[in-house]
Amino acid sequence: MDLLLQQICNGLVIGSTYAVVALGFALAFSVLRVVHFAHPDIFMVGMFSGLVAANYWPGLGLIIAIAAGAAGAGALGYFAERTIIGPLRGRDILTTLIGTLGLSIVLQNGMALLVGPDPVAYPTLVPARFIDIGPVMLTLRQIVNLGLSALLLVLVSVFVRFTRTGRAARAIAERPDVAAAFGVDVARICQITIVFASTLAGVAAVSVGSLYGSASAFVGLLYGLKAFTCMLVAGNRHIEGVVAVAIGLGIIEALVTGYVSSSMKDAAAFVVLIAVLYVRPNGMFGSYAT
Amino acid sequence: MPSFGFFEPILIFTLLNVTMALGLYVTALSGQLSMATAAIAGVGGYMSGVLTVKFGVPFAVAIAAATAAGCLVGGALALLTSRMRDFILKLTTLAFGEALAVLAFNWDYTGGANSFTGLQLHTGLGTCALAVAAALFVAWRFDQSRLGLAARAVRDDPLAAAAMGISVPGIRFTTFALGAAIVGMAGAVQAHYVLVISPSDLGFFVSLNYIIFLLFGGLQTMWGPVLGAILLTVLPEALRFANEYRLIVYGVIIIAVVLWRPDGLLHRVPLGVPQRLFGIRLSPGRPARATASQSSGAPLPQLTRTAAE
Repeated sequence: MDLLLQQICNGLVIGSTYAVVALGFALAFSVLRVVHFAHPDIFMVGMFSGLVAANYWPGLGLIIAIAAGAAGAGALGYFAERTIIGPLRGRDILTTLIGTLGLSIVLQNGMALLVGPDPVAYPTLVPARFIDIGPVMLTLRQIVNLGLSALLLVLVSVFVRFTRTGRAARAIAERPDVAAAFGVDVARICQITIVFASTLAGVAAVSVGSLYGSASAFVGLLYGLKAFTCMLVAGNRHIEGVVAVAIGLGIIEALVTGYVSSSMKDAAAFVVLIAVLYVRPNGMFGSYAT
Repeated sequence: MPSFGFFEPILIFTLLNVTMALGLYVTALSGQLSMATAAIAGVGGYMSGVLTVKFGVPFAVAIAAATAAGCLVGGALALLTSRMRDFILKLTTLAFGEALAVLAFNWDYTGGANSFTGLQLHTGLGTCALAVAAALFVAWRFDQSRLGLAARAVRDDPLAAAAMGISVPGIRFTTFALGAAIVGMAGAVQAHYVLVISPSDLGFFVSLNYIIFLLFGGLQTMWGPVLGAILLTVLPEALRFANEYRLIVYGVIIIAVVLWRPDGLLHRVPLGVPQRLFGIRLSPGRPARATASQSSGAPLPQLTRTAAE
């Protein structure tokens, strides 16, 4: 019983990170109709920006790392939007996929060139301490990660629901032409959306880096595929749906790791994906209208 | 067969990639871009490998069996995705490929994570040339047949195609199975050259390479995938002088092509003959009606842009 609860908590922690990355995908896909394959690599760049900053100003720790991660990822997101995603917006979805994939290849191998292909140690931002909560035991890092992710998810929700820009973004997701006719600056809102998603990914990346204590140029591959799966399973209509599926996926993976074997855990995600899409071709919570 | 020394492996991989790209093209013609190409090729590879190594079956028979296996897997995948639309279909094939890769990883009979080894070298330039010739012939015949026309109709507008009496699920199933058969054959031929089949070769990122061939070359004629496969197989080798910057340059070139020619290098032209290549006129142009859709750069009329502006 304790193992079960423990694995559920572990799953919750990692699932919340999947959720943040998956929401970035979902925002890009709904608003811009772009499969933003460079998003996980923007996440990776955010992780390294945080690492560099934390090494440069060791005293300030977590705060400066998060700020640097957000800034690095946000700036890269802006660059990606201006050079590749923006010009290709409105094209066939596969064209944008290949374009962002090219960027992803450049980013991964560029970073591997800078820091080497092997994982590097992440600075200690949060002390390694265990905290007992009832029957389960979590590390302080896990709690920080969970808290940060929750904060980011609330931010997305507030952005989409209660800000003018967020409302405009939703209007574009629904009907870009009509939104433009009503005076929405589509190009600008798209830029803001990508930069916003990238910034969130940067923050999540720093938190994940400190959670596992290592960073690698190829970390995006893992999170990218998982987060992408989450978005597909959930459908892109409701952000809560994406979050729920991401956390569910994290928990399923943790349970498979705990009770079956860790090599089967990746299969779990894909089996769930195929089953869901077979029964509900538009995703669990609906809508891929493109 | 003459020997090409240092260039022989590059030549062989070029031919193999052309075969794979053609298989993928046949599937894509009905609007289903399979993202499980590497997995289907892997099934073909495992099939032929197990047959030749564990059962001592002749190479030619093993290739035939691998082709059949690819066809079966492709057909199964087509049935699985029959209800799904466009984009979701592509991603389900992605998940299917990944699931197959995990299966191969955990199946001890085929070596599991340690890869399947012990294959004999059967593939030479001759075999590859035969495989390419077969794939080219099938793709070429397919392109011109009623089936190919029906597949295009299904891709462009499934509703209208159905209204014209075309069986949309039937066409999708046929093209998927046919394309997967070619891919399975290519996978088997490749396995007997590389001599090792490892589960990671079945993954999504290998499949993605083949899709890049298609989109890079343009998937409106069968020569687009051929050109894309040739260029992108030779390019990383030609970039060897750039050493560690090689993959970065490769990525930049892909971005540049996508930005400048979003529909691929070769555009669709009447007669299926490439008309212009890098702006060089290859065959005489036709009057305005035929070239209008080409010069605008829009995918095809029915794929109207959804986004504003």
